[in-house]
Amino acid sequence: MTNPLSVHAGAQPLVRGVGITKYFGGVRALDNVSLDLFPGEVVALVGDNGAGKSTLIKILSGMYQADEGSIWLGDVELQHLTVRQARAFGIETVYQQLFLCDNLGAAANVMLGQEPVKSRFGPFEIIDNKRLVEEARKRIDELGITLSNLFTPVRRFSGGQRQAIAIARATVNADRLIQFDEPTAALGVRQTKATLELIQRVAAKGIAVVVISHNLDDVFAIAHRIVAMRLGRITLDTFADQTTRAHVIACMTGLSSRQDA
Amino acid sequence: MRAQNLPSTVALIMGRSLGLLVALVLTFLAISLYSPQYLSIENLLVVALQVSFVGIAAIGTGCLIISGNVDLSIGSQYALCAVTSAMLAKSVSAPIAWMAGIFLGAVLGLVNGLLVWRVPISPIIITLGTLTIFRGIALKITNGFGVRGVPSSFAQLGQAVWLGVPMPVWILVLLAGVAHILLHSTKQGRHLFAFGGNREAAESAGIDGKRLVLVSFAVNGALVGTSAVLAASRFGSAAPTFGVGFELDVIAAVILGGVVFSGGEGSIVGILLGIVLLGVINSGLISIGIDPHYTQMVKGLALVFAVTLDQLTQEQQERHRKKLALGERSSSA
Repeated sequence: MTNPLSVHAGAQPLVRGVGITKYFGGVRALDNVSLDLFPGEVVALVGDNGAGKSTLIKILSGMYQADEGSIWLGDVELQHLTVRQARAFGIETVYQQLFLCDNLGAAANVMLGQEPVKSRFGPFEIIDNKRLVEEARKRIDELGITLSNLFTPVRRFSGGQRQAIAIARATVNADRLIQFDEPTAALGVRQTKATLELIQRVAAKGIAVVVISHNLDDVFAIAHRIVAMRLGRITLDTFADQTTRAHVIACMTGLSSRQDA
Repeated sequence: MRAQNLPSTVALIMGRSLGLLVALVLTFLAISLYSPQYLSIENLLVVALQVSFVGIAAIGTGCLIISGNVDLSIGSQYALCAVTSAMLAKSVSAPIAWMAGIFLGAVLGLVNGLLVWRVPISPIIITLGTLTIFRGIALKITNGFGVRGVPSSFAQLGQAVWLGVPMPVWILVLLAGVAHILLHSTKQGRHLFAFGGNREAAESAGIDGKRLVLVSFAVNGALVGTSAVLAASRFGSAAPTFGVGFELDVIAAVILGGVVFSGGEGSIVGILLGIVLLGVINSGLISIGIDPHYTQMVKGLALVFAVTLDQLTQEQQERHRKKLALGERSSSA
């Protein structure tokens, strides 16, 4: 694993959340949360249920708007980030339910909404199928994914393969920040390993990566940086090789974080 | 080429279409055994004319169902467009009356689209409501009577014949050709399939769901309007009772043609075969002198048989794949 310090040296954060607070009714889901994300860095977001991890990534992808605080995309400060702005900047989130069209093949799913066009008929755009397949193939190969067939409806693929297709699609839509919401929660041992490798390859392309995970084995296997949250606050933000499992757990649960350090 | 790019859909469609083609040939053979004159050009043209009205509407409804929606009010739209067009023809020129009927169809479709978009309950319920509303309007504006005394110029469109083939048949063929290209080769068509397959996935990929829903309902309405104008023009009159049960004929043909009711699968070729098969069963059984009551039953049986066969084939394939996957695992272990 590359030393994350070298990633940060003099680097500008790509995406920053500054002092973000979010209420749901009377409940404070996020309380003055600040987070910097750097290109090529895998940040693991850990915490108990209700800690605010999902709320945070939804704010960074524009699905929720923060009540206080701001988001920086590069040099631009935004009070209210919309999905459209996030997408235009190159931010994409892979959710647990994957959002694949089960009736379409892998190639059509990977390129959905970004189909290359061959010619136009007034408002109608004729899809260039050859280029579509080439580009989908390129994305899939780049990530080292093996798929027997790009055209079989993806409902016939296994959970791990579907996850891989969703990740390949995310790389088509986003080149700055990709967030993963519990990517391995539904996967077996081998598929989990393959997915973690994929996530590392995404980061190796220079994309900032945020991974929500409950599995500390996964977290220590791939994260450069670990951010722990508890009750809407960040309780730990450190490089993975400068902390221990016990300390991370302590920060997640709120038990004394010194006793085992 | 397409078979390579979308073999999933294509395999399904081809499977179904091939089955339909075989069924169609067998039906033709059976009918011609008992009634050889059924296969005469004149008779086939009559059959083609009969199916063209349902066929034109089925193109729109097929696309709508592929996108995961449905419009049950098309029979009432058909009546309302037909009577409006025929009534207008008494005061304005025929081409304007024709266009007005088609345009009204688009507007009625759009109304349904807006309701379905804004009120997120089943489109079946919403359009069941507008089915009654539109029928009520058609009855109200005609006082329940047929529209008579329509100028003969109004009938020119529906009664026109080119190269021996009636105009409605030409229009069906033209629209089917255009729809085939749009559905299977354009971004818009691909997005209809995507939206029908998984709406949230399509929207998260940046597809504008609202526009897609509104446009697909409006286009369906315009096609229903076209069909209604052709029918009114063909008969030289229209009645507010036009198109009762039309939606069932159209949807039956579409589903028989291999469109999956939950959305995401289907083809124009399949839809055409579905329409023709139902049309042939209908007219063929009558021509060989079978009690028309049986025709209803045979049409229903054809539909039930086709979807049952689909389901069984799918289950069979699923089992086959499972067996293969298990075999792989045990041989690699």
